[in-house]
Amino acid sequence: MKMPGGNDIERLYDEHAQPLYAFLLNFTRNEPDTRDLLQEIFVKLAREPKLLAGVREERAFLIRLAHNAAIDLMRRRGTRDRTRENFAAEMISPFAPTSDPDEKVYREELAVALGELPEEQRAVVHLKLWEGLTFEEIAAALEIPPNTTASRYRYALDKLRGRLRPLYEEMKNAE
Amino acid sequence: MNDEADQFEQRLGRQPLKSIPAEWRAEILTAARAAQPSRHVWLSTLNSQLSTVFWPHPKAWAGLATVWVFIFALNFSMRDTSPRVAEKSAPPSPEVMVELKKQQLLFAELVGPRELSDADRQKLFAPKPRSECVEILAT
Repeated sequence: MKMPGGNDIERLYDEHAQPLYAFLLNFTRNEPDTRDLLQEIFVKLAREPKLLAGVREERAFLIRLAHNAAIDLMRRRGTRDRTRENFAAEMISPFAPTSDPDEKVYREELAVALGELPEEQRAVVHLKLWEGLTFEEIAAALEIPPNTTASRYRYALDKLRGRLRPLYEEMKNAE
Repeated sequence: MNDEADQFEQRLGRQPLKSIPAEWRAEILTAARAAQPSRHVWLSTLNSQLSTVFWPHPKAWAGLATVWVFIFALNFSMRDTSPRVAEKSAPPSPEVMVELKKQQLLFAELVGPRELSDADRQKLFAPKPRSECVEILAT
């Protein structure tokens, strides 16, 4: 399926589906929702091939699409569903499974700590730590000012540090 | 302190994320291909919109459409398709015109001149006295 500018939906999927999946899974903490959102994004790209015409940073553009789609999903749902999602947030981890018991505990604790963050802080932390984007790039992707991006990141990191400090110290001493 | 913070961030960033399920690729791309704009999709959209408009009384709309089709068919079948001679015939050629003139002259010769004499003309057109008119009426 060829799209303008030599883009085809298969190439877009192969290049961007994995990071979008990780971002959406960390944001929604719900695998079926992540799948639905991912499909919604690629269906939209197939239906409107002109969306990517003139876009320089495909990844940033697709993250913006994913973020907006996830926000829309959250808005469509009521407070009751959000409570259910918060409960599910403790259950679903965005991290790969590991056989190392220490790492397993750390990832589980980190998943819970991330799940406790507000969604907007979680999105910034994810894009900074696991996508390696700069604050300017994150600001552009999430359509927020760079200063807000930086402050959200600092608040989120302080919370994570406070939450994980005992475990982190323990693991550090063990090393 | 900053060094420790950096180490903490680096450790967080090193945690590997889950991989996307492999089976999603085919499912999502199939859905995306199906959503590609096409003539078929356009027609189905048109169909659904027309259905919305015609839904309240579909049989009445169908009957009305049938009547119109019948009227058009009738009109088409009764259309005059015979060639119009006066419009379509070409002007006569000079040879034909000469031949026609010859025939007219020949006909005139055969029939002879039908000219009236001066005296006859006077009889025909001369006013008569009133008394004669009365006689004519009496007879």
